[in-house]
Amino acid sequence: MAKHSQIKRSVDMQIIADWVEPGARVLDLGCGRGVLLDYLAQTKKVHAVGVDLDFDKISACVRRGLTAYQGDMMALMRELPENHFDRVICSRTLEELPDPGAIIEQALRIGRTITVGFVNHGYWKNRTAAFFLGRKPRNAVYTTAWYESRPTNPASIADFEDFCALRKLKIARRAHLGGDWKTTSSLLPNLLAGYALYDLTR
Amino acid sequence: MNDADDLSHAPARSEPGEVGLVEPRDFVSTEPFTFDNGQSIPGFTLRYETYGRLNPSRDNAVLVCHALSGDHHCAGIHSLGDRKPGWWNNLIGPGKALDTNKFFVLCCNVIGGCQGSTGPSSIDPRTGRAYGITFPAVTIRDMVRTQKRWLDSLGVASLYAVIGGSMGGMQVLQWSIEYPAFVQRALAMATTAREGAQAIAFNEVGRQAILQDPEWNHGFYPKSGGPRVGLAIARMMAHITYLSDASMDRKFGRKAVAAHRKAVAPATPAEDVSELSMEGVDPTAPTATFDVRFEVESYLRYQGQSFINRFDANSYLYITRALDQFDLAATHGSLEKAFAEVQAATLVVGFTSDWLFPPDQNRAIALALLRAGKRVSYAELATDLGHDSFLLESPQLYDLVRGFLN
Repeated sequence: MAKHSQIKRSVDMQIIADWVEPGARVLDLGCGRGVLLDYLAQTKKVHAVGVDLDFDKISACVRRGLTAYQGDMMALMRELPENHFDRVICSRTLEELPDPGAIIEQALRIGRTITVGFVNHGYWKNRTAAFFLGRKPRNAVYTTAWYESRPTNPASIADFEDFCALRKLKIARRAHLGGDWKTTSSLLPNLLAGYALYDLTR
Repeated sequence: MNDADDLSHAPARSEPGEVGLVEPRDFVSTEPFTFDNGQSIPGFTLRYETYGRLNPSRDNAVLVCHALSGDHHCAGIHSLGDRKPGWWNNLIGPGKALDTNKFFVLCCNVIGGCQGSTGPSSIDPRTGRAYGITFPAVTIRDMVRTQKRWLDSLGVASLYAVIGGSMGGMQVLQWSIEYPAFVQRALAMATTAREGAQAIAFNEVGRQAILQDPEWNHGFYPKSGGPRVGLAIARMMAHITYLSDASMDRKFGRKAVAAHRKAVAPATPAEDVSELSMEGVDPTAPTATFDVRFEVESYLRYQGQSFINRFDANSYLYITRALDQFDLAATHGSLEKAFAEVQAATLVVGFTSDWLFPPDQNRAIALALLRAGKRVSYAELATDLGHDSFLLESPQLYDLVRGFLN
């Protein structure tokens, strides 16, 4: 399982790395143990800052030579001036955040660009789980039963693009991955894409 | 040589992972030193200890800075009879988080102190008498500037890291501001860039306990005497601020001292064993009401008593003043400006139960460094041990320190 998720992760990591300008100042919201930032620091020489809630995750970032801040991402962003970062990344974190719209808004105040990567809840397998089985989706992404899961706030690609239109956010780039999260998929993304990445600007 | 007695002692006293026997040394500067307030002294001494070896390129030195009541003895033991090792022995040693196999670790008693470094209890060579309160006011920056002179004399080319908690953390910040090119890494724990009113208030009560003791005698008292009662009370009160409600409750609860323990059957749960009893006490005896009854009282009295045997009251006044005066934002215009020249990678660590230098004040340091565009990390350890948590035996904290240093 760990290896599997590592492979999946590497494709969205590569896309993000393609989008990141070399030497950029990058903030990673929900940086975890710093895998993505470490990759960006090595491949793009970014000036990386991570934020996460957990002491051991911060400790793991520090061990990698990254800088990371333990605390609430919203509280941190409020303390920073406009355009402090070139890019804010919110990768595989969005659906676990309360009030994600407010977080994207803050991120676009302190950063010029926000990269958002999220699981497409409109993917057909997620739909069939609910429609035919009447069950919460259980698969490689959603591995746990409802009673042992963190609260999630799932969105689909269509939901996300509606949100961008409503808030008048410019979609500078988008990438949709198939159900295997490896190949890019452009046909009927809301139905056929398992994962989505967006670059938004003001 | 292969003495059986020695062997039986050896494993317990100096097993692998311990710094072992150490000897303090003195750095004597014969050049005058001018304090921040403009006053000078003709020279000074700093007592220090080192562990590990300075490498040929002279860049593996790690400076440890001590807190208010600490000293240069942060690791190892002075004799085989020592009951306690140095104050940060759990962190420092071969293979420990601050690894003396890799690093040349140094620690000195601060200027204004009383553990061998020049301070108010030292003799003023100009008068032949103790400085007393003619000693110049000391600042955190004075501590750091005198330390720089000492490190230069040892040939230390740069500091791989400076590390300290509480007042030690203030010195860490001051080091990276004062000598930005000299400091590669700065690790400050349980500290603040400026004390809040509460911390100043606690220090002021401590100072008043000393100043109001008639034995203080305007700062001039014999080495053996002085305001022992005042200093003990200051220490008792300060000690409470280093702990927490939860940790004191766990350690002492309402446990009674032996003389006041209620006699109970052996099967009774532990918490009842120590329940307060007035049996055998004459309630009409004039002193009975205010005798030591609770273990926490006895503990604090012990803390106060042992402190007066090792600490000088005037040093306590000077150093608490240095703590209260420290205000990086006011000195530099703002905290961001204070950190403008910093080159060190910084790690700030706060502790959730620290109510003396609370997490918010630690976080403020990290945020200001971040706003100033510096490399900084902030971690916050959940403990219930209060301000003294930075001295805690915590594998999580060790991992963080080790990760930052390697």
